[in-house]
Amino acid sequence: MADFITGVYIALFFFGIFFIVIFILLHQRNKKYLFASPKPKRYYSVSFLVPAYNEEENIESTVNSIINLNYPKEKKEIIIINDGSKDNTLKIARQLEKKYKEVKVLDKLNSGKADSLNQAIKMARGELIAVTDADSYPEKNSLLRMVGHFDNEKIAAVTSRVLVKNKNNWLGKFQVLDYSIIAWTRKLLDFVDSVYVTNGPLSIYRKSVAKKIGGFDTKNLTEDIEITWHMLSEGYQTRMSYNAIVYTTVPENLNAWIKQRVRWNLGGLQTVKKYWRSMFKKGAFGYFVIPYVTSSFALAIIGFLLFARFLWIKGNYYIYSLFYAFQGYDYWRYIEFRISITILLILGITFFILAIIYYKIGFRNSQTGNKGILKILSYSIFYRTLYVIPLLIAIYKIFKGDIRWYTK
Amino acid sequence: MVYKMSEKPRVFVESLVITLFILMIGFSWGFYFENFRTNKVAESYKNYEIEALDLKLQNYYYQIMDQSSCKEAINQNFIFADNLYDTGLEIERAEEANQITEDIIREKRRHALLKTELWLNTILLKEKCNNPFDTVVYIFAHDPKNNAKVSEQKILSNVLKSVKEIKGNKIILIPIAGDMGLGAVDLQNRIYNITYFPSIIINEEVTLEGFHTIEEIEFYLRK
Repeated sequence: MADFITGVYIALFFFGIFFIVIFILLHQRNKKYLFASPKPKRYYSVSFLVPAYNEEENIESTVNSIINLNYPKEKKEIIIINDGSKDNTLKIARQLEKKYKEVKVLDKLNSGKADSLNQAIKMARGELIAVTDADSYPEKNSLLRMVGHFDNEKIAAVTSRVLVKNKNNWLGKFQVLDYSIIAWTRKLLDFVDSVYVTNGPLSIYRKSVAKKIGGFDTKNLTEDIEITWHMLSEGYQTRMSYNAIVYTTVPENLNAWIKQRVRWNLGGLQTVKKYWRSMFKKGAFGYFVIPYVTSSFALAIIGFLLFARFLWIKGNYYIYSLFYAFQGYDYWRYIEFRISITILLILGITFFILAIIYYKIGFRNSQTGNKGILKILSYSIFYRTLYVIPLLIAIYKIFKGDIRWYTK
Repeated sequence: MVYKMSEKPRVFVESLVITLFILMIGFSWGFYFENFRTNKVAESYKNYEIEALDLKLQNYYYQIMDQSSCKEAINQNFIFADNLYDTGLEIERAEEANQITEDIIREKRRHALLKTELWLNTILLKEKCNNPFDTVVYIFAHDPKNNAKVSEQKILSNVLKSVKEIKGNKIILIPIAGDMGLGAVDLQNRIYNITYFPSIIINEEVTLEGFHTIEEIEFYLRK
């Protein structure tokens, strides 16, 4: 019957379909500009900040990939920030400092990534600041394809396309698909001035703006999301260079994956909480970014609750059946599966088909290339369902007031 | 290469229009299928209404006349009861599936009355024809308030379906929603002291509350 729950389902499908239609339309309208980058009028001086905590295995490769970037040597500066590492990171960093004159080392006590970056900004000489995680490897032309955006004075940050370096197991392979969709979606958001995340593996910020807004928020677990929102809230714009590629190392087991995603969710929720008052103010940021991100969280939670309710109601019958089975009820005889055509089924199927089309186009435009329907189905049904686990843990932690575990 | 942006607000408005259009199509189809189900039930009600009246008149006739026509009358009752039972299942399915219209409830109430009438007919028929079959009346809640109740009703309904399959034309199974605010049904609830849903009334003599196995129900049957 037409009740509250039916209304919630319809609202859920409405927003789900609405967002997917936006993305599909954005793609159709702008597909020829997906891989476009503005050619820089001049070479900006760029300071690469590489925060490192126990990164002895990766730091050298990361620095080498920055050294090898196709960009004038004299315009590059690399600051390795040793954030109180307990391994040989500092030793390797010092060796790199001796080997390359553009490399500097900032050695400090452990205080977290945001604080490390803030300290490094103070000593950076470049007009632009490029942040690169110590386990990430920018592709040769990535920098060149990003800096041209800064010719526009309104642009405060430019981010890149992150691809997966390690794809050794099922989780790595799913993350290849996942990162492809994340990057593609972010590029589509670029077309409506709504790039709301500048990723950790490679993002470039205008130093003057970063300094003006006070740098990275040390209390936020995802300082890269927070600084982007901060810049957008101040009226600046952010961009995404889809053809600027950086490879990163992704979690290889479920525990590490959940831990990473819990941090993303916690940081995202912290950021929403900090900026929700700008909702429906300040252009694309207030009218789209905040409602979109907020409703993404809300839709995920509501979707999970509805799914749990569905399982509970269906499961309840079988649990009771088992109970009565002990009293002589023939459990197996009455197991049935029936499906009726309803408005929710019609909307659900429409949403699902649109989502599949959306993923299909996304993969076609990404590292993965065209993907068969089975891979798309397993990604959308199995992997995407896993998203809810870190989200629930994050919400639980917020209610418990326990977010310290994830801070360094 | 020129770096071009789309016309921003337009894409949101267009997406909204497309989404509303999809929603409208969804609603239209939803209404169509819900009305289709309801109309199907309503249509069968129209036919059964005539059949019920016919049966009632036949019963009057048999009561005035002799017992030689019992076999024919019983046969007619079984056919009618089976049809009503099948439509009852259809109503339950339609009620589960219909999410935006409420017309099916009206049909359910109508059918509850038809089934009550069938029950009264069978009582008269049994008196006249020397109890040739058993009557099992299943009284259930139309809108059970919790999952436990939903499960219990579904389970008992399945058990009774099996009893009917085993006994065939030896029993008449009449499921009636007992809480739809219908005077005739409420009256019967009072007469048979039904305070718990689901309950089973066997041959107007025995009342069983809640779950019972096939064997337990069979124990109370005469045929």
